[in-house]
This record gives sequence, structure tokens and C-alpha cells, in this order.
Amino acid sequence: MNESIPPSPAAPVPPKLTPTPDASAPLGADAAERAPIRGIVAAIEAVLREPRRVLFNLSQPGSGAITAALLVIAAVCALVYGVVVGTFSGGTQLWAAPVKIAGGLLVSALICLPSLFIFACLGGSTARLGEVFGLLAGKLALTTILLIGFAPVAWVFSQSTESLGWMGVLHLAFWGIAALFGLRFMHAGFGQLVRSGAGVKVWTVIYLLVALQMTTALRPILGRADTFLPAEKKFFLAHWFDTLDKAAKAEPYRQR
Amino acid sequence: MNHPVPLTFVAPIAALVRGEAGLVDEIVRDADRHEMARQVAVIIVGAGLFGAAMGAWRSPTQALYTAVKFPLIVLLTTLANALLNALLAPQLGLDLRLRQTLAAVLTSFAIASLILGSLSPVMLFLVWSAPVVVEKVRSASLGFELVQLTGVAAIAFAGLAGNARMLQSLRRLGGSETVAWRIMIAWLAGNLFLGAQLAWNLRPFIGAPELPVEFLRPNAFSGNFYETVFASLARFLTN
Repeated sequence: MNESIPPSPAAPVPPKLTPTPDASAPLGADAAERAPIRGIVAAIEAVLREPRRVLFNLSQPGSGAITAALLVIAAVCALVYGVVVGTFSGGTQLWAAPVKIAGGLLVSALICLPSLFIFACLGGSTARLGEVFGLLAGKLALTTILLIGFAPVAWVFSQSTESLGWMGVLHLAFWGIAALFGLRFMHAGFGQLVRSGAGVKVWTVIYLLVALQMTTALRPILGRADTFLPAEKKFFLAHWFDTLDKAAKAEPYRQR
Repeated sequence: MNHPVPLTFVAPIAALVRGEAGLVDEIVRDADRHEMARQVAVIIVGAGLFGAAMGAWRSPTQALYTAVKFPLIVLLTTLANALLNALLAPQLGLDLRLRQTLAAVLTSFAIASLILGSLSPVMLFLVWSAPVVVEKVRSASLGFELVQLTGVAAIAFAGLAGNARMLQSLRRLGGSETVAWRIMIAWLAGNLFLGAQLAWNLRPFIGAPELPVEFLRPNAFSGNFYETVFASLARFLTN
């Protein structure tokens, strides 16, 4: 066992990975970041792998096309994830859940857009309204693309369990993780724009509360009901406690 | 990303909220009539939208009433305290004229109103999804309290942000941190003292579920805010 392996005269050199760009460097300092983004596929690639390229392109005049592409990505991915959510109950939920999830995400973002712009200005942002909208669209796109990544896992669970409470917690956890990355992308964009991030942080809390309340306002997203929208108005915490309470008392069921 | 802001109708609003030194200081120093009219318009629209969203919880009529009353409180407080504020400023170390103090206070309220206006879609969504009056009394009361608490939190945040911008401007104009703080605290105390009373006179803003929708309560001008607080405190301590 003392035999030594002779060194190979020409050991293969592994290819170098692209170094992570310095987050403190100004956007567009690297030529690759200045490359234009054209089309939906390029936008998906860029938002996942080159967020600084997206941020640079959003800061340029005429960034409407990228914003539109990001919104289309967000809508389509939300619809696809919604179908997976709908498979838990089947029937009308196969179309109702995608419509509610895609609609809810986009409406929550629109409700919070004016306050995002004003709160960013409070932090010293000089961004145009269109640029702020683009950052929000990027956040939605990244969140929903990541949800697609969770979709197969969610589908396996939705076919294996009857528990509404369990599935609700699972989908919220997936959304929470995806939203965290989406918000990180948006905060990176604002990091280049604002002197103080306090305003955007306060806005994040408002946005999360609106998004969580939206899940209750548009219920049932997971279970079944006779009407498309709920007859009784509730706050999301009250709805969660009621649902978990019912789940704890009753047999596993699929009806809300 | 240091690009110039294009001149749209959004740009002056954004510059005001950012508290751009040149813009805010110029507004206060010049106290231009047109600029002050613009601040008044911003207050009417911003505070009015937020008021409408809050009042919408009770009824569309209450929404209209609150849309009128919210900006009214702000403007009445500003006008009624204008002379006092102008008299206090030189005493506390900054030689500002009446119109300049008016411009400074209006700018601070305009920034707060812009924040409130931007939050009005969030408030409207909360109101839309809150339990309403026609439903069970217990849940309606919960809805009332949540709308009230959210409204108070938003107004407090907007007020803080508006006053922070005013402090920055006073600091630049006066060249002294101490003077700026003194003036801001004096003006704030006066505005809060009168504003609380005017808010008490002009109630209701959301409309308690068990009371009718009205522009003013029948006892709007009997008693005052401080008497009511004192009476409540006395009842609490004696029971």
C-alpha cells in the first residue's frame, strides 16, 4: 500500500466558474450586466442567474418591455402553480385556484405599488415609478419561478394527504421561501437606489400582511366552497386559527 | 444609477418626499403663493384619499364625509397655529416670517399626506376584507378596531416622516441642530394640542358600528378632547 501514484504530467484544469459580482460595485460596471435582455426566456435566465443584469436593464429608459416580460412570467408561473394547488380538491378548483393565485399576487403588488414608490423616496430613491414597478415585477417573477420549482413536491403531497391544514401550511411555507428570495432581489435593486433602506423594510411588512390577507379574502384557494368568493369576511389570523381548530377536531376532510 | 429624474407630475412629488435640500429649503425660504397652493392641493388629495378609504368601512356616505374632514383638520390646524408658530420661531432662534413658517408646516403636512395617499389602496383593501357592520356585532367591532388601529399607525408613521423632513430643513436653514429641534418640538406640541381637539370636534371618521352615519356628532361642540380624557381617567381611577 506504499506505492505512490505518479503525478499526471498534465492534470486537467476544471473550468472556472463565473465569479459572483461585487454587490457594492455600481450596476453596469461589468460589460455583461449591460447586455440587453430580449424575450421571456432570456428574462427568466437573467432573473435567476444574473439579477444585476436585470437591475441594470430596469434602470435604463425604455425598460417597459422587460417589466412586461417579468409580469407575463409571474402570471404564467402563478397559473401553473395554481393548477398544482387546485389538484388537491379537483373539480372547479382546477381553474379557480390558478385564477385566484395569479390574480391575488398581481393585485397585492398593484395595491402596494404606490406606497413602495413613496417609501423608496423616503429613503432617498431617485428611481422612476416605472423602475420601481419593474423591481416589483422582478420580485414577483422570481417568487413564482421558484414556486414552480416547489410544484412537484407540492403535487406529491396533495395526492398523498387529505389534510387541508397540512397542505395550507405547506403552500404557505413554499410561498414564504420563494417570497424571501423575491424580496432579496428587490432589496438588492433598492440597495443601489436608496440612502436608507428603512422605508423599503417597513413597506415589506405592509406587503406581506396584504399578501397574507389576500389569501383569506380570496378563499377557498385550497379547499372547496359553494361560492367563488367567501360570504363571510375574516382576518387571515382568525381564518388560520379556525381552519387549524377544525382540522384538529374533525377527521381529515377536504371541505372548508 | 444616478440618473436625472424626468419631469413628470410624479417627479415633484418624489422630490418632496425625498426631502431634496434645494427644493424643500426653497419652498420655505421663498414661501411662494403658487407653491403653497400646490402643497394645499397635495394635502386635500392625499389626506382625502386616505380618509375616504377609512370611512368606506362604515358606508359610502361616511367615506365622503371623512374624505372632507381629514384634510380639513390638517388645514385648520395649520392656519389656526400659523401666527403662534411664526411668533415662536424667532424666539427660539430662527428668524422666519409668517409665510415661511406656514410654508414649512404645509410642506411637512404635504409629505405626510403623500404617504397617507400612497397607503390608501392598502387601507381600502383592509376595509374591503374587514368584517362589516351588517355582520355579527362582535366581528364588526373587531373590524372597526382593526381599521382604527391601522389608521392610527399609518397617520403616526406619516406624521413622523413629515416632521423628520421638516427638521432636516430647519437644521439647514438655521445652521443649528439645537435650534431646529427646539422649533420642531414647539410647533409639534402646538399642532398636536389643537389637532387633537379639532379631531374630537369633527368626529366620527370611521363611524362606530352601533352609531348612525353623521357628518358631526350631535355633541360635537359640547366639551373638549382633554375634558373627555380627564373624565375617563378619573372614572378609571375611582372605580
